Amino acid sequence: MGSVVEIKPLTRVEGHGSLKLFFDGRQAERVELCLTDSPRLFEALLVGKRYREVPDIVCRICSLCSTIHKVTAVAAVERAFGIEVTGETRLSRELITCGGMLQDHALHLYCLLLPDLMGQRGVTGLASEAPEILQSGLRIKRVGNLIQETVGGRLIHPVNITVGGLGQRVGRDALLRLKEELLAIIPECRQCYRLFRRSFPFPQLPRPEFLALEPSPTPIAGELLHMSNGTVFAIESYREHVVETVLPYSYAKHARVNGAEPTVGALSRLNLGAALAAEPRTLFAKVRDDLVGHDIRANSLAQAVELYQAAERSLQVIDALLELGREGECCRKITPSAGRGCAASEAPRGVLIHSYSFDEEGYCTEADVITPTSLNQGALARDLLALARAMEGADEAEMRKALEHLVRCYDPCISCSVHLLQL
Amino acid sequence: MNRPRLAIAGLTACSGCQLTLLNCEEELPLIAEKFEIHYFPMAESVSEPEGVYDAAIVEGAVSTPEDHALLFKLRNASHLLVAYGTCALFGGVAAMNNRCAERPEMLGTVYGDSAPLIESFPPAPFKNFISVDFAITGCPPEKPELLALLGGLLAGTLPPTPCYPVCTECRSRENLCLLLEKGQFCLGPIIQGGCNARCPATGIVCEGCRGPVREANVAQELELLLERHFGREEIERRMSRFTPEWNYGQRR
Repeated sequence: MGSVVEIKPLTRVEGHGSLKLFFDGRQAERVELCLTDSPRLFEALLVGKRYREVPDIVCRICSLCSTIHKVTAVAAVERAFGIEVTGETRLSRELITCGGMLQDHALHLYCLLLPDLMGQRGVTGLASEAPEILQSGLRIKRVGNLIQETVGGRLIHPVNITVGGLGQRVGRDALLRLKEELLAIIPECRQCYRLFRRSFPFPQLPRPEFLALEPSPTPIAGELLHMSNGTVFAIESYREHVVETVLPYSYAKHARVNGAEPTVGALSRLNLGAALAAEPRTLFAKVRDDLVGHDIRANSLAQAVELYQAAERSLQVIDALLELGREGECCRKITPSAGRGCAASEAPRGVLIHSYSFDEEGYCTEADVITPTSLNQGALARDLLALARAMEGADEAEMRKALEHLVRCYDPCISCSVHLLQL
Repeated sequence: MNRPRLAIAGLTACSGCQLTLLNCEEELPLIAEKFEIHYFPMAESVSEPEGVYDAAIVEGAVSTPEDHALLFKLRNASHLLVAYGTCALFGGVAAMNNRCAERPEMLGTVYGDSAPLIESFPPAPFKNFISVDFAITGCPPEKPELLALLGGLLAGTLPPTPCYPVCTECRSRENLCLLLEKGQFCLGPIIQGGCNARCPATGIVCEGCRGPVREANVAQELELLLERHFGREEIERRMSRFTPEWNYGQRR
């Protein structure tokens, strides 16, 4: 006899979603992952807008990832018009991206995921049962946000990141203050991994097919994507490799890359050889055996390593900015021209691609955004089914708990995933 | 002392208003102590609203039957319903094309012929459906305004809300006027203040994320922009980014 286990809504994730597992007797037959944030149809909203409006609008796809959406959108517009920004702009954008990574990983690890590990319902339970751990996480998160607010002029949907450069350069005093705040949390960032280096209460999952941007000296707007199966392709040709299909029960499209269901995010980056600063590299070497070749259960440990990397890298970038001093105008003059521009970056949750076409006056004629959660969707569904099968016969409450926990390992961002396009 | 019981929820939005609460890193432990945060799916595993809430703080526009049902449920279960953020108050970014594009067409643009079988309609603000007791505007909202609301709830009252335009704070910060002195497309004169003119202080024009200020002189803003050679089409497009409905007044 058939039965269905439904988890609705998914909680402690960004956005609205649910999942249904269909059983035939005791055997799990199939899974429907329904990402049901109402579609805001961003790609349709962007068509007909002027190039300067595009990044301001598109960053509203998601608040958690608004910084990286904005930085990536701005880079794509600049590529379309052939604009080279100054070194100061590049460094400032890298700094705000590090701040975004720090805040986002801290939010996910300490506020959304940790309650699972501590047997709590959510962040309020942590506040009463594990106040010191929560406060340590919040201190890290706060500094990530301070970086975003200082560089971006606003915490969510930063305004200071614009096509051509910066609205205003980040002052020396502000940089020194950030440095001081960062130095104060470095010891906590270094220790963060200890909380997440643990075995999970559920069975082994399929080995992921990792996908990430190839490390480059400019982490934003890299050139090549590579996969653990050896595939390498240029960002510009992503449409030949990434195929999206519409699912009848979900507003997020399901993406395959060269036929494979990729896994993106912290674990993928570390498996595919991310560039790390000296001390995070030492930490990575220490926990390497728990990360390399592992399934998605290791993603939170990978995020903890990256959280430390983001803090250390922020310090490096601040020093580079301080050394650079003032460089003249901080924003390039823009002359729109007809063309297409495409940029990819590593968002906290993984590979993010923005692509826009413009007419000769700079009006947007086509927009496409591929988000980490739409890339991860297939792998998440596959793992949910594998988990349900491996737990066959388990008590339903236990299975539900494990399934929810697995969803959180992927750190999905449902607002991001729901949108799409192919015009 | 009784802890006020809260529901915090999101409809069609980016979760930025809810994130603003989680971004109150220094205050969050105290908030968790002083309030019973019962329903808050983004950060708490509780699947359904249950019982009576002292306040429901809800972000997002209404654009699906589920949004609509949850909004009514929370309205009926709560003493105070707070429209939290620009989408809840004015429709927000997802509603910007409400007046100039048909939804089926836009769905077709994004999903082709194979649109999923989920029902949705043009995003609309709360006031189209229910009565709202208090509002916090902004995309995203300012943390101090949220904290003032929470403080007010603890004291059994509601905080005052500013009703002056962005220009008031911008002038008191002595920023260069981007509209009058640089001829840029700034919406400050007609937009609700309270953000301490964040964007103009960074040299970036006000994009209007906080929605119309009370008694906004829209006709005069149009005049100022037209004089600076911005086209009527561009003006309406830019003004619609967060608020599709404007009273363009006597200036046609």
